[in-house]
Amino acid sequence: MNGMQSGQEIDLTAFVPEIAIAVTAVLGLLAGSWLPRYRQWVVRALALLGILVAVIATIISMTRAPEATAAGSYTIDVSLNAARLAILVGTAIVIGLASGSIAAAKRESEFHVLLLLAALGTIVLAGATDLLVLAAGYLLASVPLYALVGFAKDRLGTEATLKYYLMGALFGLLLLAGVVLLLATGGSTVYSELSRSLPRGPTAVVATGMLMLTAGLLFKAGSVPAHFWVPDAIDGATPPIAAFIATVPKIGALVALFRISTDAFANVPLDWSLMLALLAAATMTLGNLAAFFQRTVRRLLAYSTISQVGYLMMIIAAYGHPTRALPSLLYYLLAYTVTNLGAFAVVAAFASRRGVDDYRGLFRRHRWVALSLIVCLLGLVGTPPTAVFVGKLTAFTAALDAGMGWLVILAAANTVASVFYYLRWIFVLFQRDHVGPEASEPSGPTGMPRTEAASIILAVALGVTSIVVGLVANPVLELLSSSK
Amino acid sequence: MLSIIVFLPAIVAALLLFVPRKRVRLFPWIWVATSAVDLALIIVAWTGYIVGTGTGFGYEENVRWLPMLGSGYHIAVDGFSLPIVALTGVLFLACAVYSLREQRRTRSWVILFLFLQTVSLGLFVSLDLLVFFVFFDLSIVAMYFIIAGWGHPGAARAALQFFLYTFVGSLALLLGFIGLYLASTPHTFDMVQLVHQDPLKGDPVVAGIILFAISLGLAVKTPTVPFHTWLPPAHTEAPTAGSVILAGILLKMGTYGFVRIAMPILPQAWRDYALVFVIVGVVSVLYGALVALAQTNLKRMIAYTSVNHMGYIILGLGAAGLATGSNVQASALAVSGAVTQMVSHGLLTGALFLLAGVLYARGGTYDIGAYGGLAKTVPVFTGLMAVAVFGSLGLPGFSGFIAEFQIFTGSLGSAPVPTALSVIGIVITAALLLRMFQRIFLGAGQRSHDEAPPAPQASMKDVFSREFFAVAPLLALSVVIGILPAFLLHVIDPAARALVALVGG
Amino acid sequence: MPLVLLVMLPAAAAVVLLLRGRRTDAAAPAIAVAVAVIDLGLAIVAAIARPSAEVTALNSIPGAVAVDGLAAIAMVTVAAVFLAVVVFACGDIGRGEARSRFFGTMLLFVAAMFVTVTAVNIFTLLAAWEIMGATSYALIGFWWSEPGKARSGLIAFITTRSADVGMYVAAGAALAAGAAGLNLARLDEVAGGWRDIALAGLALAALGKSAQLPFSFWLSHAMAGPSPVSALLHSAAMVAAGGYLLLRIEPGITATGWLGPVVAWIGALTALLLGAVAVAQRDLKQLLAASTCSQIGFIVLAAGVGGVAGGATQFVAHAAVKSLLFLVAGAWLAALGTKNLLRLRGAARTHPVAGITFTVGALALGGLPPLSIWVAKDQILSAALPASTALYTVGLAAAALSAAYSAKALAVIWTRPASVAPLDVRAGRIPVSELLPLPALAIAATVLGVLGVPPLAAAWSRTLGTPDAPTSPPWEFAMSATLAVTVIVLVVWWQHRRLTRSDELVADTAWLRDWLKMEAGIDVIVVRPIRALSAWCSRFDDRVLSQAVTTVGSAVLRLSRVVNARLEWAIAAAVAFVADGARRLATAAVRPQTGLLHQYYDQAIVGMAVLVAVFILMR
Repeated sequence: MNGMQSGQEIDLTAFVPEIAIAVTAVLGLLAGSWLPRYRQWVVRALALLGILVAVIATIISMTRAPEATAAGSYTIDVSLNAARLAILVGTAIVIGLASGSIAAAKRESEFHVLLLLAALGTIVLAGATDLLVLAAGYLLASVPLYALVGFAKDRLGTEATLKYYLMGALFGLLLLAGVVLLLATGGSTVYSELSRSLPRGPTAVVATGMLMLTAGLLFKAGSVPAHFWVPDAIDGATPPIAAFIATVPKIGALVALFRISTDAFANVPLDWSLMLALLAAATMTLGNLAAFFQRTVRRLLAYSTISQVGYLMMIIAAYGHPTRALPSLLYYLLAYTVTNLGAFAVVAAFASRRGVDDYRGLFRRHRWVALSLIVCLLGLVGTPPTAVFVGKLTAFTAALDAGMGWLVILAAANTVASVFYYLRWIFVLFQRDHVGPEASEPSGPTGMPRTEAASIILAVALGVTSIVVGLVANPVLELLSSSK
Repeated sequence: MLSIIVFLPAIVAALLLFVPRKRVRLFPWIWVATSAVDLALIIVAWTGYIVGTGTGFGYEENVRWLPMLGSGYHIAVDGFSLPIVALTGVLFLACAVYSLREQRRTRSWVILFLFLQTVSLGLFVSLDLLVFFVFFDLSIVAMYFIIAGWGHPGAARAALQFFLYTFVGSLALLLGFIGLYLASTPHTFDMVQLVHQDPLKGDPVVAGIILFAISLGLAVKTPTVPFHTWLPPAHTEAPTAGSVILAGILLKMGTYGFVRIAMPILPQAWRDYALVFVIVGVVSVLYGALVALAQTNLKRMIAYTSVNHMGYIILGLGAAGLATGSNVQASALAVSGAVTQMVSHGLLTGALFLLAGVLYARGGTYDIGAYGGLAKTVPVFTGLMAVAVFGSLGLPGFSGFIAEFQIFTGSLGSAPVPTALSVIGIVITAALLLRMFQRIFLGAGQRSHDEAPPAPQASMKDVFSREFFAVAPLLALSVVIGILPAFLLHVIDPAARALVALVGG
Repeated sequence: MPLVLLVMLPAAAAVVLLLRGRRTDAAAPAIAVAVAVIDLGLAIVAAIARPSAEVTALNSIPGAVAVDGLAAIAMVTVAAVFLAVVVFACGDIGRGEARSRFFGTMLLFVAAMFVTVTAVNIFTLLAAWEIMGATSYALIGFWWSEPGKARSGLIAFITTRSADVGMYVAAGAALAAGAAGLNLARLDEVAGGWRDIALAGLALAALGKSAQLPFSFWLSHAMAGPSPVSALLHSAAMVAAGGYLLLRIEPGITATGWLGPVVAWIGALTALLLGAVAVAQRDLKQLLAASTCSQIGFIVLAAGVGGVAGGATQFVAHAAVKSLLFLVAGAWLAALGTKNLLRLRGAARTHPVAGITFTVGALALGGLPPLSIWVAKDQILSAALPASTALYTVGLAAAALSAAYSAKALAVIWTRPASVAPLDVRAGRIPVSELLPLPALAIAATVLGVLGVPPLAAAWSRTLGTPDAPTSPPWEFAMSATLAVTVIVLVVWWQHRRLTRSDELVADTAWLRDWLKMEAGIDVIVVRPIRALSAWCSRFDDRVLSQAVTTVGSAVLRLSRVVNARLEWAIAAAVAFVADGARRLATAAVRPQTGLLHQYYDQAIVGMAVLVAVFILMR
């Protein structure tokens, strides 16, 4: 918001999506305070409506030429629009996932409001071309989530909140410190000016500033070395929230990271690309290796998201070749949003099944859900023709083009490794409920679990979508590489 | 036309997902019908191709799919793909007939196989690296489910190993493809354009690296020594029909990739490293034969003979790369022999695996030592096995001889010593196959064996009609090719000459 | 056309019989005889008409057959012997037997043999050649349920196929040499090393098929088959085909210059040594088998020294003689249930027809003038004499040995049994069908000698398109004749005396009886090493290659455990990890679990600090 208030020359119509979300959030808050509990679905409807408006506005703004508004502190271009779409759709899906569990809960309206604010913050992250806007977006994207993670108020949730919050605070601090350092050395907070001034600054300080700033984004993205919170938070939160924090904030953070790399850090006489490459390597590898022995599906997915972020970082490391890298990044983000939410939708549908083994025989009972889960998991592996496959393909291409063969090979190796734990989950789906080839594992408690109609529908829909998006990747890619 | 052939099975499979459970009895028959129709279409296509040009690409379809990535849905058939497409149709039909009595989770079983048929056909007709890769990867997934879901105990581990191992290969392949894409101008995944461009003519180093990546991927799938270790466990644990398709079709994806991608797109690199492939081929031939000689498990033995048979193909293709001057003509013979070998191995090894399944269905074990003197009780089974054995040891009158004779004759000029060595392979193969045959079927009868429980042989039933009609056609086809090879070779020959013209520059 | 029929008729009949199985057991003999008669007619027609036929097989390599002089002679010979053998088999292979399978396989074999003798190029030849081998496996192992029979078939098949490797190589070499369509007749035209390799390969295959040294031992195993099989395969057909092939490629062999002597010497030595082996046998069929090697040795010798005419004569003569002897041996085996020489003592007296025909055959085999083989051998020896005296001498010695073993057999079958109760006569009435062919063959064995009479000999050479056989000096004829006669007389006398005195055989030497311990030698030199190698390879495959893969996998798993323990709260992981034995790492792994968040903080801060340092240093 910081950016929006500065200067009058702003063309507000460009901000309709952001404004729509903000307004909806406020209205939701007001409405929620006097609506009786059994009528709080109105807030949900309101939220979805607001998102719909925002989406439409985004689609309209896609037709416009990219523009830097608010004194260059906020840039509306294809990246932002893509991010907006992904974030908004993702949020809508999460609302859908939550509809069953949250319905008529005492604080349903708060839930939706917080969700909207977090989404708004994430969008701002994606659009910011000014360090202060970035910081504002960071805070706005973080604070509501702290509340949401602990929303259930159970022991796990509270613990998760605590960790999430404290880590967030730390990295927020680092981010602000980074802002200060860069401002001190660069003499400005606007990227375009920083890109001119930073190269002249004292390298050590600049380097420290860049990394501190990045640290905050890494935290949001859940990347090494700021990934510790991810498994705990995802394990502790309710499935819908887990789905949200595992997907949406990453979009904003990664777009922001790309933006800052190209716009602000490009000319700094440091090998920023290699730095990012190293971070990517560490992230994908650690995420995969740690996922191997997870017995609960949420922790497994948590680590899989970390590894996915690693692949995405690989693209960002190739920011030097934006014509390849940017479309790849945006497409991968879209694909990832759909696929990852699809997997989480299944988790939300069977919230009571925590362990991997609790999914035994799912294929016999819920053929379609099982199929779409398989599609999503294989999609995360990068099996064609799912969306993530095209994402990975473009990612590999971009990285190879940028001359990072070693990173690509490492990514390939990680992909193979990831098959191992994804298949463990898939294999279980086909086992008889009690007897199975892997008799060594104790068969989990499979009392017929409470399932959520909405989640099941969404799961199947997302599974289908992730294939469709893969098959019709071309128009999407054309759209994404329309500018830049 | 071609797209119909390719996607018909998948469409049927998709429809079957909606058929209610109580109709499940019909599923195997639906599968048989579908495969039969598909095969009929393939035959129509074949005849059409002959009366048409008879050379070059037929039934070409080129639809824009991913122009952003320089990739399109580009498919067609030529002298290389047509025979293997036909083989695919035949083998899947045979498996369908064989599986008529499949009781376990019939729906998923049938659907998976129909899906796999589409995948296989699609791979063999694709002229675009990405399309090729899509089917390549999907074949791994489908086969994983078949092995893991219907295999013998211990299948889970074998299936996982199969998936991981071949997946490594497929990723190496993908990296190689991306390398080709980046090297080409304009960037494209289209095989025809790539062949036309010959993008890496001037850059032997990069060409070598890319050839290495692609060959690694294909060699794992083929498989050649030393990348073959996933094959024996996968075969021993897989269900019969799974083994048939794995050996008959999936292995061909590797060898086919060499003639379709590696050789024409990277001709110079292929010439440079041809010796490597020749050596790998010879080692696979001899090593595969020797290891097979030591096996006591029927399926493991057949698996290793597959390594041996694939070795001949690699040898022939490698020799084509070594050919110079007058030998270029000969190497056309070697290449057409290699393609013939793909078909022949599909038919004969398919038959062998089906017969191994017949044996297991009665004796409950693959241990050769557990049987003896079966010829008394099951004469027809014995006859079928005898024919299959003589066929796959390369006896004249069977397709195997046509293939191997061409490979040897065509390769010797370019690679004398390796070829001469690999001829020894046919002696070892003959010895081990006949020894297996004698132990199981000939002799006085049940020999006492420590490890294996004696199989119930007195009560052993001879082949059922569905088993017979699954196996006999394969053997008959092999004989037809063995006696009248012209109809096949005339299709392969132009393609082989074209390839040799590219490679043996 | 007659040529195509000649091949297709038996082939078609064979397919029918083999596919119908036991259902056609009753009809099988009749069908076989009918086919054999027709084929003999066709063979004669073809021999006169000299037709040729061609079918497109491989690109630029057709399946082609044609009849020239040599082929004509071979065709007629094979067809005739085949008829005789089939007639005999009608009685020998009884009602109970799987007649359909037997006659079917025999028909298939003979079809392949016809192609072999008329093959124009190496492709056609190799195809028929290998089918012959496979059918011989099936025929030798005909009584598959009896232990060891199938194994004998396997040994025969594998041994000959190992030699066939030579023919595969030959095909490749011929193509590399540029011999149009792998044409056998053109081999001598092309020049260079490839031609030599091609011819050497063909020669190797031929030597293997005709059981020359060092392959001879498989023929001993081949005796496990039914007698009619031996009578066809090991007299006129398969074994002789080796010699035949050498005669066919003789121009090429001489063209190489070096190959001729090699082949000649192998033939001569085989004739000599296997002759000795034959002398030492106690078993009639083994004796005949060894003598076959020895006699074919003469054909090989002939091919080596360019005596095609003599070789052809020997081919024909030996076919008649040896099939006759094998048939008689088979008849006795069926009638008296033994082929042991000692137990056959006096057999000729109890079965006069068999006895007399056998005698004629044996005398011919012994080289008694003026019977057929004497003529043939002299033609060969007189061809060898100009080439090298040593060869000639060895050949002569071999001839003497053949006289010796024939005499031994003769003495045995005519010597009156010692015991008052001779071997049970009623046991063995020999059926008429078995006796029928014997006289015919005996006559052939006798009169084929006329081929050596000068005018005929000239015609013979013209038929073969070879220069007239060098007419050897009269002293040569005289010497070989006297040699043969003396040896026969002496040995008969000696053996007869031995029998009557102490019921024993002469020249009863163990190592000779074991075929020079050839098989044991091959076993040590070839078979065992391969077995060992294969065992080693499979161990290597299980322990090294597949292990390597799993090792990588488990390494990744272990690594992931470490990561897991570092990043995870799960005590389980830490425990499993401790169990892994990496104690130091384990403690490191447990440490981050002590305090909750400040550990995270520390790690995060340290991580950042490190990053900053690295980043700055990286530039």
